[in-house]
Amino acid sequence: MNDENKKQINERYEKQLEKGERFWPDTIFKDLVMSFGIFILLLLLATFIGVPGEPKADPSDTSYIPRPEWYFLFLFKFLALYGQLPVIGKIEWLATVLIPGIAIAVLTLMPFIEKSPYRHYSKRILPISIMSIMVVGIVLLTLMSDVPTVSKDGSSLLGTLQTIAGIFIPLTAYILLFVFKKNTRFMLWTTSLAALSMILVSGTVLALAPEKEAEETEVATTLPDQIVAGQDLYSIHCTECHGDDGAVAVITGVEGLEGEKITPINSRDVLYTVTDSAMSEVIGYGRPNAGMPPFGKTYGGELTKGEIDYIVIFMRYMWDDRFEAPEIKPLFPPLADGEVPSYDVHIQPIVKRYCISCHRAGKDNNNYLMTTYEEILTTGDQVSNNVIAGDENSYLLQVIQEHAIMNPEKPEEELIGVMPPTKALKPDVIDVFIRWIMNGMPQTAEEAAALSTTPTTTPTP
Amino acid sequence: MWKTVYNWLDERIGLNDLYTNILDRPEPKTSWWNTLGSASMFLFIFQGLTGIFLTVYYTPSPDHAYDSINYIMEGVAFGWLIRGIHHWGATLMVILVFIHMLRVFYTASFKYPRELTWLIGIGLFLTTLGMGFTGYLLPWNQKSFWATTVGTQIAGTVPFLGEFILKALRGGPDLSALTLQRFFSAHIWIIPAILAALIGIHLFLIIKHGESHWPQKED
Ligand code: HEC
Ligand code: HEC
Ligand code: HEM
Repeated sequence: MNDENKKQINERYEKQLEKGERFWPDTIFKDLVMSFGIFILLLLLATFIGVPGEPKADPSDTSYIPRPEWYFLFLFKFLALYGQLPVIGKIEWLATVLIPGIAIAVLTLMPFIEKSPYRHYSKRILPISIMSIMVVGIVLLTLMSDVPTVSKDGSSLLGTLQTIAGIFIPLTAYILLFVFKKNTRFMLWTTSLAALSMILVSGTVLALAPEKEAEETEVATTLPDQIVAGQDLYSIHCTECHGDDGAVAVITGVEGLEGEKITPINSRDVLYTVTDSAMSEVIGYGRPNAGMPPFGKTYGGELTKGEIDYIVIFMRYMWDDRFEAPEIKPLFPPLADGEVPSYDVHIQPIVKRYCISCHRAGKDNNNYLMTTYEEILTTGDQVSNNVIAGDENSYLLQVIQEHAIMNPEKPEEELIGVMPPTKALKPDVIDVFIRWIMNGMPQTAEEAAALSTTPTTTPTP
Repeated sequence: MWKTVYNWLDERIGLNDLYTNILDRPEPKTSWWNTLGSASMFLFIFQGLTGIFLTVYYTPSPDHAYDSINYIMEGVAFGWLIRGIHHWGATLMVILVFIHMLRVFYTASFKYPRELTWLIGIGLFLTTLGMGFTGYLLPWNQKSFWATTVGTQIAGTVPFLGEFILKALRGGPDLSALTLQRFFSAHIWIIPAILAALIGIHLFLIIKHGESHWPQKED
């Protein structure tokens, strides 16, 4: 750019200033309106969407699928697609360092690369085309970031389409743009067609993409929720040795530890002397010499750091007399007369608290698993007799009411003992099981409501 | 009374000069696209204010970071609102700065005499991303932990220097208390200081040259 150009530019600017406005109040007014609008938008987002809960960081949980912040997702996707390319796909730093590096360098040096003094769009088709294709690509890659490159059935169609939209079309367009950079009309067509085809191919990818499974991100953030989560985990993993209230002093019914004397873990001896972090360490590492297995993922168990923390919180607030427990929701909403309980609302929390500790894979339980609705109805050695709709002689109902089932061939031998083996259920829990089975085991709250004889909600006058 | 105070101040700091030089300037006709820069600045200031509030309760250690955030969400009056604003403000700021940059690009406002404004702008863009990257780790939850793990891993693929960059970012071979401490310090001291200084220069240059006019046919 020579002095002549500069003079011309400055003169034009002066002319525009004469026709223009005042910074104060005209320009500032618009700025304030915009900022105020953004402020309102922020309030709405913070109030109505908020910040979703997430479990605590767990360095040992390597099964967690890492995802960067959303505005880096496009880069992440680009890396994934690039990695699929033959040969150069193996040279990682080309995509992680060189290509982004070049992009940023070009962007930085823009004023020195695009040296023409012209500002109007018609005189800047090449840079505008390059940037537009880039922006379309970034947006599309961000949108596609969740779509896997290889589908469940092993087909890589989705991956190929994504690579076409995210790498091949833009690359071809760039080459064409540079080769024909004299021909304005051709450049406009190339850009429009490239953008359009990228959008179409990505649209196809999104349409074909497998339904995203709703991931369970149940995170207990309030203290009562954490206590309940801890209690559920405790009932599943710890009751067989420590009892449901932590009071067991002599272990019974556990293979290899029969008659083992232990300090009740709900006693002051334990609670007052073991700090929270030592407690979570004991649970994570176990007491291998004394017979308590490790529970932390770091040591080969199945609990994450966060889950162990919940157990510790539960122990503190329910057993430690220095802590005062907040009010806790009942395990299941109490039933009204004639109301039919459902699996989702009633049975699931009960089973989780009282049965799953034994009735899950890897435990001694006559192959009767109870972790899902289907399993409760379709597993077990006595599957045909366990749960029979409308039959009060269903084995399940018998055993929870303290009637062991005797072996028909050898009548003096128990086929199934009473359930749960160590401590009888409370009458209201038994009542839930009876009503549920007698009414045909509805799964959802709606199905249960349809079976109920009185309306569940009494209309208020 | 006000007049006397005003005059007294004007004599010492030159309020009138400030007014004529900064506020009472001519500008070309501006459009709504020209509000994006000041909106980014508004968000920066707002992030600063909400961020300061968050540091009152936040503890940058792996043992307490998560719980302190939980406490802000559950225990502090309007903590959820402040954190919500800070969270969404970060997202909006990245979007706004990016669109602001696109607008400057499309109107070719980076050309003479505003080249330096653009260079500073790139600095602003990168530091804004840096704010997002460092802030994301602070809640110390699964998402942030693993996002930072892969993020730093990518930085570690730089040929020759990768190993060093990775260790410098993480403060060791793995993510640890040191990483958190480091990101915290970068997020609340180092990067905001750079950002604020760059914004200062950016604004100075904008006032010096005035905002560019919307490109006309003959430009
Ligand atoms: C297979 C049986 C078994 C299971 C399951 C089990 N423990 Fe233990 N636990 C033990 C034994 C044995 C000891 C050693 C007791 C002793 O030395 O007094 C122990 C010790 C402990 C102690 C330390 C007590 C002390 O004196 O310091 C705590 C706390 C504890 N268990 C909590 C738990 C929690 C929480 C769970 C569930 C995640 C659990 N345990 C599951 C058998 C078990
Ligand atoms: C302490 C472990 C334990 C708990 C807790 C427990 N069970 Fe069992 N359950 C067993 C074992 C072991 C068997 C195998 C039969 C036996 O040994 O009596 C069994 C068998 C059964 C069977 C028969 C399965 C079949 O097909 O043979 C039913 C039904 C049953 N349990 C229901 C329940 C219910 C309902 C609960 C919760 C309220 C429960 N159990 C809690 C250990 C447990
Ligand atoms: C924290 C981030 C940023 C802030 C707070 C900021 C602030 C501003 C403000 C207030 C203006 C004047 C109003 C306007 O034209 O919108 C402006 C203009 C400008 N900005 Fe930024 N900006 C930021 C990022 C960027 C980036 C990323 C770039 C480009 C790489 C950039 C380049 C420019 C240029 C060249 C101008 C002059 C535009 C003109 O005169 O028309 N800025 N900026």
